[in-house]
Amino acid sequence: MPPIIEVKDLTKEFRTFRRREGVLGALQNLFVREHVTVRAVDHVSFAIEPGEMVGYIGANGAGKSTTIKVLTDILVPTSGHVVSNGFVPYRERRRYTKHIGVVFGQRTQLWWDIAVIESFKLLKEIYEIPERDYRQRLDMFSDLLNLREYLHTPVRKLSLGERMRCDLAASLLHNPPLLFLDEPTIGLDVVAKDRIREFMKEVNRTEGTTVLLTTHDLSDIEELSKRIIIIDKGRIVFDGDLGQMKKRLAKYNQVKFFLKDRSQVAYLSRVQSDGIVCERVDELTYLIRFDREQHSSAEVIRQIVNTLEVRDIFVEEEPIEEIVKRIYLSGEVA
Amino acid sequence: MPAAAVAGARGGERPSSLFWRWLRLYLEFGRVGFVNALAYRLRYVTGIVTYFIYISVYYFIWKAIYEHSTSIEGFDFSHLLTYIGVGWIIRSFYFNNIDQELAYQVMEGRLAMDLIKPVNIQLMYVARAAGESIFRLVLLTAPTALVLFLVYPLRPPASVRHGGAFLVSVLLSFLIVAAINFVVGTFALRLQSILGLMRAKFFLLELLSGLLLPISFFPQVFQKIFALLPFEYISYVPMLIYLGKLDDSGLARAIALQFFWVAVLLAIGNALWSWSSRKVTIQGG
Repeated sequence: MPPIIEVKDLTKEFRTFRRREGVLGALQNLFVREHVTVRAVDHVSFAIEPGEMVGYIGANGAGKSTTIKVLTDILVPTSGHVVSNGFVPYRERRRYTKHIGVVFGQRTQLWWDIAVIESFKLLKEIYEIPERDYRQRLDMFSDLLNLREYLHTPVRKLSLGERMRCDLAASLLHNPPLLFLDEPTIGLDVVAKDRIREFMKEVNRTEGTTVLLTTHDLSDIEELSKRIIIIDKGRIVFDGDLGQMKKRLAKYNQVKFFLKDRSQVAYLSRVQSDGIVCERVDELTYLIRFDREQHSSAEVIRQIVNTLEVRDIFVEEEPIEEIVKRIYLSGEVA
Repeated sequence: MPAAAVAGARGGERPSSLFWRWLRLYLEFGRVGFVNALAYRLRYVTGIVTYFIYISVYYFIWKAIYEHSTSIEGFDFSHLLTYIGVGWIIRSFYFNNIDQELAYQVMEGRLAMDLIKPVNIQLMYVARAAGESIFRLVLLTAPTALVLFLVYPLRPPASVRHGGAFLVSVLLSFLIVAAINFVVGTFALRLQSILGLMRAKFFLLELLSGLLLPISFFPQVFQKIFALLPFEYISYVPMLIYLGKLDDSGLARAIALQFFWVAVLLAIGNALWSWSSRKVTIQGG
């Protein structure tokens, strides 16, 4: 099957002008503007197969939202090619947007002052959803997302978690083959996040909906997607399987250990050597991160148990957050 | 009709079914505008008081002016009072906030939520404003008219025919205002903040629409210029029709010109929107 989204050499530049400071600067701004071109997305290419759930991540300002906004036809690209769901988005806006679903975690597409159900009815007309399908999906979403009690409440009175669930239902009422989620779990508590993730999995499984999601919460990615695309300063620095990413990019392992009692703290320095440094987690808990190439876990553990009296000891792979943090900070991959 | 219209959604459809689907969608937007206004119904009750105060102020000002003359530019006091009173009554109907809505969509970064919808955004805004206007017709225009006709000696329409033509003309006024506001609102896409522009438009509209005083009170030169602009078709022209100051051919011409301006202004708004939405830069997110 051909990919459902194909992005080739996508570049998006913004032209802004530098604002000078102070009164004189403001006056100067009126007459002479110093233009600055910012390249938010720089020759990005990727392809997504139907039914995939892909996590698209990057630091603030890395270009992930810009990519999503091109794909949802809010922005027109500066150059490059995009074919999504058989359309070139910015050429056929109304026909294209009819067959996609979009959720922006920071905004709502529902009408603020009217009951949720009224917004749903309007969406039914906008997307020309047949009455029977509408009923059926509304029922299904109400159950899965537990919406029933909010349907007659105006959106402005909903909590963030409730609103998010309603927005998610709204974006899927017309059963789009393609769903874009821009930070869908932002600001939500653990339970609300979990409910949304379960729902996404269910929809992906039963309807085969392709999902592209951006997030800052990497547990979203671990829960939902096998594939991860990392963008940094407008360029894609990694695109592949999550497991593969760990294998390829995890540089460190870590050993966490709990000291038997406080007296042991004095001996910590004896464990440390070249490339092995203790980090304090709390009074009795310490962590050693070490380069996987230089040291083996066995060697590190041996050194710890030979020198210190410990109660517990755990070996862990470098958490995905740490890997990603390193990429964000250094901008390079391995 | 509706089931058939929806069933025929894909592939070789008849133009008539396309039209019904289109109508259904924008009627639905109108309904949402109506329901939305419901959330702020208290605002309209205070509106009745505000309108009453406005017109009372004008009543006393013009009464003082007419102490010294019986007729100004062909308006005697009772005509002028009706011109002002009914002018404000219809304003409570044709008036809308499309420009402000668009300005806030842009300032608060919500424009994206409009752009992702597979609809004609201009028609969406106009339809919503229409729903709101219908709501106001019931909760603001009708009670205001009732109070004003009871308190002040306002004249009825010159004839039944003039009354009918007046109603059509007011509907067209609504469309002209909606189209102008959409054009103004569209500037927000490029300028980010249009609060100043909106204020300028507000005062321009009050004056050039003939709401504050009849256009015939202006010097000849200005009248000639205003005749080339759409603004006097908002209030001045419907009021001339109401008062029976246009003969049959003048009446037909006036309504035809209103149609003309609706078409031109909607086309300008549409073109401006297509152009600026391609260049939009959405902040943040």
